[in-house]
Order: sequence, then C-alpha cells, then structure tokens
Amino acid sequence: MSWKKGAFLLAFFAGMSVCLAVFWYRFHELNGNVEGRNEIYDRHYVMITGREDGDFWDRVYESALAEGKRRGVYVERFGEDLAVEYDRNELLKLAMLASVDGIIVPGDEEEETVALLQEAVEQGIPVVNVLEDSMGSSRQCFVGNNSYNLGQDYGRQILELLAKQEKEGDHVSSENPAKVMVLVDENRTDTSQNLVLLGIRETLENEGEGIPVTVEARPVDNSRSFSSEESIRDIFLNSEMLPDILVCLSAVHTRCAYQAAVDYNQVGTVQMLGYYDSEAILEAVSKNILYSTISLDTEQMGRLCVQALDEYVETGYTNNYMAVDTRLIRAEEAERLVNQE
Amino acid sequence: MKKHIPSVSGSFFGRKWKYLTLQQKLTALFLLTAVIILTVNLYIFLLINEMTGRVEEVYISNVNLNELSGALDRIQDSVEEYLNTKSSDAMEEYYRSEQAYRGLMEGLNTQVTDNEILLTEKNIYGLSESYLELAAGAIQAKRGRNVERYGALYEDAELLYEEIHTFIYSLNNTQFKDNSRNYQVLLSSLRYMELLSVGVLLLVLLGNISLIIVSTRSVTKPLKQLAKAADEVSGGNFDIGQIPVQSMDEVGIVTNTFNEMVENIRNYIEQLRLTMERENQLKERELMMQSHLKDAQLKYLQAQINPHFLFNTLNAGVQLAMMEEAEQTGRFLENVAEFFRYNVRKNDEDATLQEEIRLVDNYVYILNVRFSGEILFSKEIDESLLHVRVPSMILQPLVENSFNYGIRNISWRGRIELSVYQKGKEICISIWDNGAGMEQERTDQVLSGHAGEAEPSGGSNGVGLKNVMERLRLYFQGQAGLQIFSEGKGTGTEVLITVPAEL
Repeated sequence: MSWKKGAFLLAFFAGMSVCLAVFWYRFHELNGNVEGRNEIYDRHYVMITGREDGDFWDRVYESALAEGKRRGVYVERFGEDLAVEYDRNELLKLAMLASVDGIIVPGDEEEETVALLQEAVEQGIPVVNVLEDSMGSSRQCFVGNNSYNLGQDYGRQILELLAKQEKEGDHVSSENPAKVMVLVDENRTDTSQNLVLLGIRETLENEGEGIPVTVEARPVDNSRSFSSEESIRDIFLNSEMLPDILVCLSAVHTRCAYQAAVDYNQVGTVQMLGYYDSEAILEAVSKNILYSTISLDTEQMGRLCVQALDEYVETGYTNNYMAVDTRLIRAEEAERLVNQE
Repeated sequence: MKKHIPSVSGSFFGRKWKYLTLQQKLTALFLLTAVIILTVNLYIFLLINEMTGRVEEVYISNVNLNELSGALDRIQDSVEEYLNTKSSDAMEEYYRSEQAYRGLMEGLNTQVTDNEILLTEKNIYGLSESYLELAAGAIQAKRGRNVERYGALYEDAELLYEEIHTFIYSLNNTQFKDNSRNYQVLLSSLRYMELLSVGVLLLVLLGNISLIIVSTRSVTKPLKQLAKAADEVSGGNFDIGQIPVQSMDEVGIVTNTFNEMVENIRNYIEQLRLTMERENQLKERELMMQSHLKDAQLKYLQAQINPHFLFNTLNAGVQLAMMEEAEQTGRFLENVAEFFRYNVRKNDEDATLQEEIRLVDNYVYILNVRFSGEILFSKEIDESLLHVRVPSMILQPLVENSFNYGIRNISWRGRIELSVYQKGKEICISIWDNGAGMEQERTDQVLSGHAGEAEPSGGSNGVGLKNVMERLRLYFQGQAGLQIFSEGKGTGTEVLITVPAEL
C-alpha cells in the first residue's frame, strides 16, 4: 500500500470521525434546546389584568417582566393560560392560595375586591393597584396616571378643536352648543372616570371663555364579550345622537370608535380624541381619523409596579402613589412614530 | 546459501506493515474494518437509544400530571365520603391518598422560574398545599362535629379542588402542546438521523471497500508479478530480471527465493554450457589426433609389410650373423630390428626425446650401411632435456627428409647435425644438413603444406613434414613451432622445432 493511498484513507476516516463528532455535538445541543434552560428567581409576583385592552396590558406586563428579571423577580401574567376564564377576583383568590410573593392588579371600589385585597395584605402578600385604584383597601401602592390631569388634557384638546371649527366657520351658539361625548366604562366602579370627566368639564368651563358646549358621559356596556363594540356602533347608527367631539378613555373604545366612523362614513363629521398609542391607533391619528390620542407610558407603569412591590418587600415601606406620565400625540408625531415602527 | 533480505523503505507504520506476515495482514485488515463498522454502528445505536429516551421523556410529564389529577380525585372523594359517612375506611383512604398526593407533589417544581410550565407547577403546588389544609380542616371539623365549619371548609375545598383541576388541565394542555412541538423536533431529528445513518453507513462501507481493495492489492500485486515471472520461466525465458520485493511477508520470502532460484539456474546453465564447450573441444582434438595417427599408421603399414614378422626375421638374422661371427652384419641387423621395433611399439603414443634420438641413430646407421658411410652425422644434445616428451616419430622423418632432399644427390660429402637445447622457455630441436638447400618460395610451400605430400616416394617411409607439423600442433595445443631455414640452393637446410619447456 503506497503512503499516498494510506494517507488518503487515513484522512477519509479522520474526516468522517470529525463529522460524526460535530453531529453528536449538534444533536445534544438540539436536545438541550428541547429541554430549555431555565432561570431561577428569588420572588414570584403575579400581574392580574382584565381581558380588555390586551395590547395595553401586554406592554405593561413586558415592562414589569423586564424590570422584575433585572431585580431577580419573576412576574407572572396570572391566569392567562388557564382553560377556564376566571374573573379578576377569582384570580386574586387563587393567587393568594398559591402563596405568591406579590400581586399587581387593577383595582376598583367594589366591596368584594376591596375585601380580597385587604385579605391579601393581611396574609402578608403586598398588593399594588395599577391604572385603577382601590382606595378603600390597604393596598401598598397605586401606580397610574392622575385622572383629573388626564381630563384637563382632553379638555384642552376639545377647546383646540372647537377653536379650529370656529375658524373653519362652524359656529356654535347657546342654542346650538357643541356636543362632546365621553365614552365611559359602565362596569368600572373606581373614581378615575369621574375624575377625568371632572377634569374635562372644569377645563372647558375655566378655559373655554364661555363657549357653549355640553359634555355627555356615554356608558359603554363592557360586561359581555364584544358588547363595547356593539354599544359604540349604536351611537353611529343614530345620527341624532352623534356628537361633534367623541372622547374615548380606553384603547378598545378608541379602536371601535374610529372603525365605526370609517364604516359609517363619519370621519370628519365627528372629531375623535383617542386613548393609548397602539399601532392601529397611531395610524388612525396619522390619517386624521382621530384628532389626537393620549397615551400612558406603559414601560414606566410596569417598571414602577415592580419597583413598588420590591421596595415594600425589602423595606416594608413604599409610596402610596406613583404617577405615570401621559403623552399627547398629534398627527405629525403619530406619522413619525408609525414610520419609526 | 545466504539469503538476501531486501530493505523496505517508507514510514514507521509502512515498514511495520511490510514486515507483517500474510496472515497477520489479513487479520489486521479484517479487524480494522470490523472495528470501524462496529464503532459506527455503536455510534448510531447510541444516538437512536438517546432519541428513544427523549421521545419517552416527552410524554412522561403528561403521564405524571394525570397521576396527580387522579390522586387529587381520590382525596376529594375520600373527604366527601368521610364527611358523608364518617367511616374509618374513608378516613384511611383519605390518609392514603393524601400521602400519595404529597408524594406526587414532591415531583412538582417549587422554584420561581421563567419557565411557564414549571411556574404553573409551582402554583399547583401552592394551591395543593392550601387545598390539603382545607381538606384536613374539614375533616378535623367533622371529627369535632362542627357542622357549620366543616360545611364551609368543604365548600372552599371543593372550589379549590376544581380550580386545581383547571390548573392541572391547563398545564396538561400546555405541556401537551410543548411536548408535541418537542416531539415534532425530535421526529424531524429522527428522520434527519435516519438519513445521516444511511449516509454514514454508505460512506463507511465505501471507505472499507477502498481499504480492502487497496490493502488486498498490496498483497496480491507481488503474487501476480511472481505468477507472471514463473510463467516466463516455465516457458524457458530466464532473462526476466529481479522481481522487486515490496514486503517481507510469505509472498516476499517466496519472491526473494524465486529470484535466487532463477539466478542459480541461470548460473548453472552457463557453467554447463562452458563445460560442454570445453568437452567438445577436447573430443574434437582427440579425434583429430587419432585421425592423424591413423593416417601415419596407415602409411607405416603400407611401408612395412609386417613389422613383427620383419623384425623377428631380422632378429633371426642377428643370431645367424653372430653364429657366423659376422659382427658388422650382426650390428646392422640389430639396428634395423631396433628401428622397426620402435615403429611397432611407439606407433600410438608419445615418446621421450631420448627414444626419438635413438631411432634417429638407428636410422642414420642403416643409411650409412646402405650408402657406405656417406653421411656424417653429428649430435649436440643437452642431456637434461632427454626426458622431454614429444609425439613419436617426429625426428626420424625430418632426418629422412634431410637425407633424401638435402644430401643424397650432392657432390660433396653430406653432413647432418642434430642439436637439442633450451632457449628461454622453449626447447629447440634442430636438424641441419649441408645439402641442396631450397629457395624461399619452396620453404613457404613446404610450411604451408602444399608440398611434400605429393612426393612421399624416394625411400621415405611416408610420414611427411605436414603430418609432423599437425601432430606437433595438436600435441602442444598450438604452442609448438616448426621453421625451415635455407639460404637458397646448395646452402643446406635447417629444420627447427620449438616446443614449450613446460606444458
């Protein structure tokens, strides 16, 4: 056997061995991926959110999760993947029974909710209310915007719109006052909506220089699935009911409202002020379907929730209220944001 | 015979390989290919084994959850049974199932992790602890007959029982989805591995076949060369050159031996040829000697009617002369008898110079009696050379020639001189006469053999010069010489024979 042939055969079998070794390594790597690698955390917080405004809560949760991971805490979106759809209070109970280390939940002033929150606090589980507050409970902290200020922002937008309409020759008088409709969640029992309405009204009154304007709070049924969409469409079906300016206080209401305006060809007839900054809403603002939208800083909101819980767990104290910034987005900025995304 | 072991060059393993025996080589080759195939099969077997293990693992989590669910059902049933009947069987069942459930709970994760499944396990663990507490509380209350409390606790426990079921069911679903995804990944890996296994096996097979072909060729190539060479040799061609020896296995040894065998046969044939050639030459010489001797003998026989009869007769004459006191006649007859006896005795063998000279003496005596002492014969002999052997009957014919052609018909007194002496490494025998002499042309004719044979008469006994020359040449293998010197008519002639002093 010549050395060349020998070397060739040797190289062949050596190459083969290397290939097999590489394959073995890749195979184990693949199996490793199948098993997954899990991080272990010190504490277990849960975030309980409603099914409404999924996109909004997703963002808040992502921020809370990221902040939690940074702090060695895992934040779970509790009840999200369960086969049975439990309501917030049931989930609250389950979270307590599962002995979690902290609860982030939107509050309200219902007796049952307040009692449950109270029970949790008594069990030693710290509670942070997010977006909506349960002032009657002993929850550790409320993280949200100042609803009165939000109302003031909306009021100023309404005044801006009315001034614009005046310029365009659409005069209002005491016989024919401008109609402002604010969509409010019928099922919400916290005070935030009232504060928003108060803010709007007071701003119109104080800064409106006597412009005749009526503000109507239109309750939207939110108790059943899809009921909010139906309620909002009802408004557009009856042209008598149609206001000059429609104010939406939730992301879902905003989306339903502008979709109905488009479907019933009422864009421009009804000026709309939205809430939240999802892609669809920004797109609507950039196309002037919505005059403007006010968004909450969801990243800040999620982060503050975890910070508040951690602060309480570590020190036993935390702020009673942590404010989340709001932001007014008009057409130009919406367009920039859409392009950016 | 000393064996020639050729050196084999190459790498360390190459040299080792070349020095292995055929059996070792074939065994090594078989073992190597077997080990390669075995290793690859083992490798594939391990992969398949691991893969099967993974597939089993995929569904084991679902099985565990189902067991957990079943155990929970048994607790709930036993609690309900106990609350209904307060039977000790139910109590026993409760404790047993609670124990079993706690055992299963130990398999659940209790750490906070970002894995959704493990986190749900942690939640189930926490809920289960609460549930067991409620159930135990209800049983305790039942024992204490606190109807209101056990009723409330049971309601809570039942609610939580359903909720835990929901959690287990949801986790089962999530795990099933996850497991199905993993199963798909594993399944595709399995297919990928099937292809790889076939590919690897084919490649290894190819590699092994190449290995076997290359290795067996290295073994069979020298055999083929050997077979071809053997075929040539069997056809009678020994000029095949050396077959290169590539290894020192059995084939190498046989090749080496074959090379030596061919070389030996070649040498033997060459020696045989030379011996036969030499034998042929000797036989040829012997035959020619015999032929010339026969020729001489024939001529003698022609000349001598019956030497034995003649020489017996002559002996009778010698005795008669002695009785009559005729001394001269007696001596004469004695010489004649001696002359013929020599002819009878020496006609088929060589003789010493002494014997040849005595014959010449006899002959000259006879001639002098015949021709009344006309011939003056003198000798100058180196006594030490008398034992030198020469072919018989070479001097007498020359003396006869000197008499017949030299001095017989001259007017002055004829003289013949015979001298024997050594000159260097040669012995010279000279017969000189002061007779008629001869021209150079005639000398050349005589020496080239074109004269003399035609004229054997005139009293010669017939053994001519040519015969003498031929016998000298054959006897001394061409190392003897015969020269004739004469300065022309009437100047006499000298015939000089030179023979090597030692043969």
